[in-house]
Amino acid sequence: MNLASVSLYRVDSTNESNQSGGDMTVKRLGITLVLIAASMAAISPVSPVYAADGPERAIERVSRRVVKIFGAGGIRGLHAYSTGFLVSPQGHLVTVWSHVLDDQSVTVVLHDGRRMEGKIVAYEPQLDLAVLKVDGDDLPYFDLDDAVAAPVGARVLAFSNMFKVAAGDEPVSVLHGVIAARTKLSARKGSFETPYTGPVYVVDAITNNPGSGGGVLTTRDGTLVGMIGKELRNTQTSTWVNYAIPIGELKTVIGQIIEGKFVAKTETSDDAANPRRYAAIDFGIVLVPDVLYRTPAFVDGVIPDSPAARAGIRPNDLVLFVNDELIQSCRMFREDLGRLEAGDTLKLVLRRGNSLVPVELPVEKKEVPEIKIDTSSSGETEE
Amino acid sequence: MQPLTTRRRILMLVVVLTVATPVLCPAQSASSDLEAQEEQAFKQAAALVAPSLVRIETVGGLERVDQVLTGTGPTTGVVIAADGYIISSAFNFASKPASILVTLPDGRRLPAVQVALDKVKMLTLIKVEADNLLPPQPAPKDSFKVGQWALALGKTLDETPSISVGIVSALGRIWGKAIQTDAKVSPVNYGGALVDVEGRVMGILVPLSPQASGEVAGVEWYDSGIGFAIPLVDVFAALDRLKQGKDLFPGLMGITMKGQDIYEGQPTIDRVRYGSPAQQAGLKEGDAIVELDGKKLVRQAQLRHVMGNKYSGESISIKVKRGDAEHSSELTLVDKLVPYESAYLGILPVRPESSRPAKPGATIRYVIPESPAAIAGLARGERIVRFNGLELATPAALLDLVSRQRPGEKVTLSVVAAEGTADPRDVEVTLRSIPPTVPLELRPAPMAPREKELADKALALGHFNEKMPAHEHEYWAYVPQDYNPDYKYGLVVWLHPAGDTMEASMIKAWQTLCDERGLILLALKAGQIAGWTPDESEFIHDAVEEFEKKYSIDKSRIVLHAFGNSGAIAYQTAFKHREMFKGLATIAAPLPAPPPDNEPEFRLQFYLASGDNDPLHRAVAGSVKGLRDMKYPVVQATIADGSHKYPPAEIVQEIAVWVDALDRI
Repeated sequence: MNLASVSLYRVDSTNESNQSGGDMTVKRLGITLVLIAASMAAISPVSPVYAADGPERAIERVSRRVVKIFGAGGIRGLHAYSTGFLVSPQGHLVTVWSHVLDDQSVTVVLHDGRRMEGKIVAYEPQLDLAVLKVDGDDLPYFDLDDAVAAPVGARVLAFSNMFKVAAGDEPVSVLHGVIAARTKLSARKGSFETPYTGPVYVVDAITNNPGSGGGVLTTRDGTLVGMIGKELRNTQTSTWVNYAIPIGELKTVIGQIIEGKFVAKTETSDDAANPRRYAAIDFGIVLVPDVLYRTPAFVDGVIPDSPAARAGIRPNDLVLFVNDELIQSCRMFREDLGRLEAGDTLKLVLRRGNSLVPVELPVEKKEVPEIKIDTSSSGETEE
Repeated sequence: MQPLTTRRRILMLVVVLTVATPVLCPAQSASSDLEAQEEQAFKQAAALVAPSLVRIETVGGLERVDQVLTGTGPTTGVVIAADGYIISSAFNFASKPASILVTLPDGRRLPAVQVALDKVKMLTLIKVEADNLLPPQPAPKDSFKVGQWALALGKTLDETPSISVGIVSALGRIWGKAIQTDAKVSPVNYGGALVDVEGRVMGILVPLSPQASGEVAGVEWYDSGIGFAIPLVDVFAALDRLKQGKDLFPGLMGITMKGQDIYEGQPTIDRVRYGSPAQQAGLKEGDAIVELDGKKLVRQAQLRHVMGNKYSGESISIKVKRGDAEHSSELTLVDKLVPYESAYLGILPVRPESSRPAKPGATIRYVIPESPAAIAGLARGERIVRFNGLELATPAALLDLVSRQRPGEKVTLSVVAAEGTADPRDVEVTLRSIPPTVPLELRPAPMAPREKELADKALALGHFNEKMPAHEHEYWAYVPQDYNPDYKYGLVVWLHPAGDTMEASMIKAWQTLCDERGLILLALKAGQIAGWTPDESEFIHDAVEEFEKKYSIDKSRIVLHAFGNSGAIAYQTAFKHREMFKGLATIAAPLPAPPPDNEPEFRLQFYLASGDNDPLHRAVAGSVKGLRDMKYPVVQATIADGSHKYPPAEIVQEIAVWVDALDRI
């Protein structure tokens, strides 16, 4: 507690530029951009007192390893720029896989203003990752083996070419914030329209802007933590999410690509993602008519002698969890049942009155291979 | 004072660190150590509050609320009592979910019920069946300082709380309700806690908007650097009331204030709503409020700051200045101001004639069928002499007393028979609302022909054109040729639509009706025929006054009549001069603004007609609803196959009967 109370206040006399950065907010397009040390000029006259790893030195070091990428886009409001970072002295650079890379080659602008042609080496859509190559040797780069994991609450810096405010030899923009959370990008499929569903850092600064994708998240002393992702809307909350993918998730594939050993996986089709193998009626559950966008999955009736009846499910029970995942509507219940396979155990948690009742049902092999989907539910797939 | 303390603390810190750490460069190590310590403090603060944060999940509910897509994701709540009470943002339940689930910090998942909603602070209290929960330590209000660290914690992303770090940006925001912070506040942490660096909860994170109210107001500012939190100590203050399951509403006095600029000038009462707490406390129009709830006021904005935190049911002291005298009173705030609705008896009184002195009371000219009067058995020719024991001098006295009753109330009338001298009989009548219909069967009141010469031989009769003295305006009028000043005439004030006075067609439509029903048509011309300007209300008022001097006009039947775009000036004038105008009949003219309150002392009736093919038809229907919501008596007429034009004869006839019946009681 002692520690906490002294930490209440900021030190005015040191670290002027980055400490006060939090107050210089620029509201633009509903997003607050916090720009710190936006020009090299502000950094160069740093006194020798800061010779150690103060954020200013870290920012200078990181900025030299981050590049601006200009490519396809510009139509239908799509931005034609993004960010990347160098990962080898020979000019390999990492960025997000996006429409900016739709051309076979893109223009890469280094921190010192050098313009180079960037060629796509390979990409992995499952990780939202692409590796590009520019001609070079002895370029400044991040050693991915030095990357670290950051705990929740850790202060971080975010570097990116957001809104392409950095022109020519200007370094990219830097924001500061803290790691707000470490979480899965989507606890449930469909929350985010992105193929990447792995762990992410959520940042409390507005890091994910047009052009930010492929930027870097570092600790305050400039150690690499993650790659800033695309602009994504969280469909569960209808809000934009600011996130970065931990380097640990990307390192192996980046290494494979650079060494030429990477083999892209075949993409899974939509049909495979949304099968309809089982329906509620297969277990003897009759649901209430699905009339609303979010009709709660109330049990309307139970067929005698069915698995549901044997498990003790009763009419008016509300199905709340399917295999430990909250379901919020009849539609989500149907989707979850559709993904079951013979041999699985269907674990349900029901709300009965004011108590929660867990039940388990065996998923038996269906006798008719053709899946019959009752007509009441077939119209709901177009949502 | 604050900067000094801050600086001193920093100095002390630097000194302590310099002594404690054996490094070469004191400034550098102080800086990085301080940062590390701050980071440590953030994490500690979050860890201290974490056992009080719960995750809330909902099932079912609306897809949209006020055009905003409602989220389906989990939200956050803060334990507020050990026995299972949890407070959260009302935003999280805006979709009216079918079921609520709470995940406690220990992993238990429990169903929850909504206990009550606080509509002032936009918080919802929910409850789970659990004991030994851990409410957080609240930060006292006097510890809040603008500039101090503030952490916004949510429980939606992970098992450990999400942290956003910011500072307190302002205090007493949104009319005194909220702490403002630049920590990122969004659906990710609405309902969560704003925490100081010592791990005490300052407030509950909510979306708020200075302009709008409602569960989703303010969501558009999410993650913008403008976030709000309701002080936890304020939540505790209202907790006992919320626990009783009663929703809390903003407290209302029932006054509107003069002046548009809320930052300029002593707050002065414009109107006092009939039957409101303010009226019961004796507040009057023109009173200057000098003190409210013990706080001195010099501008209207301060009044909003005081009222911003007030719930209905709470008492508030008020001191007003009326002239040189000060009056203090105490009033109890209400959650809803009921619009005033005048009651109705269902008779038309015999109108006074100057040649025949009327007997005291109200003699019945006509009993409207199926009205309360008809049900009670009142008959034409009978005279009502007492109302609830009060002697009546004139029909106007009866109208005033009936208007101040509410529909449904029982009153006792003392009635004497048409002929004879028997003692009055007492009749009990249950009053009702004024019906939205015109008594079409009503025959014109008999008017004897003029016998004497007019005193003013130059008085214009028939159709004539004139110019208003004092105003640069022209008008034309129609006065029945057999005008008899012994009788009182109804006055229809015609306001022409932009660009067309419609003189010929109006004369054609109204001449016979004026003769039959004893009406005078006064047609005013806008200064620019191209259209009326708002300041011409005064001209209209003066013109009527001028006409009342010249002709024998029945004050209870002065109406404005407008078509199309002259409706705006007509509504404005009618509401502005309620003491003069008793009715407004419009054709294809929707209300330009929401109507003001109905007031019993100025009964104002409406007749709104529009063609069913008129593009404005729906807007007119909306106006009818708006007026009826404020409990004004409204007759709505739909002209079958009607486009945007002046209506056919049968509608004009109906308007004339409506004017004739305006003095119904």
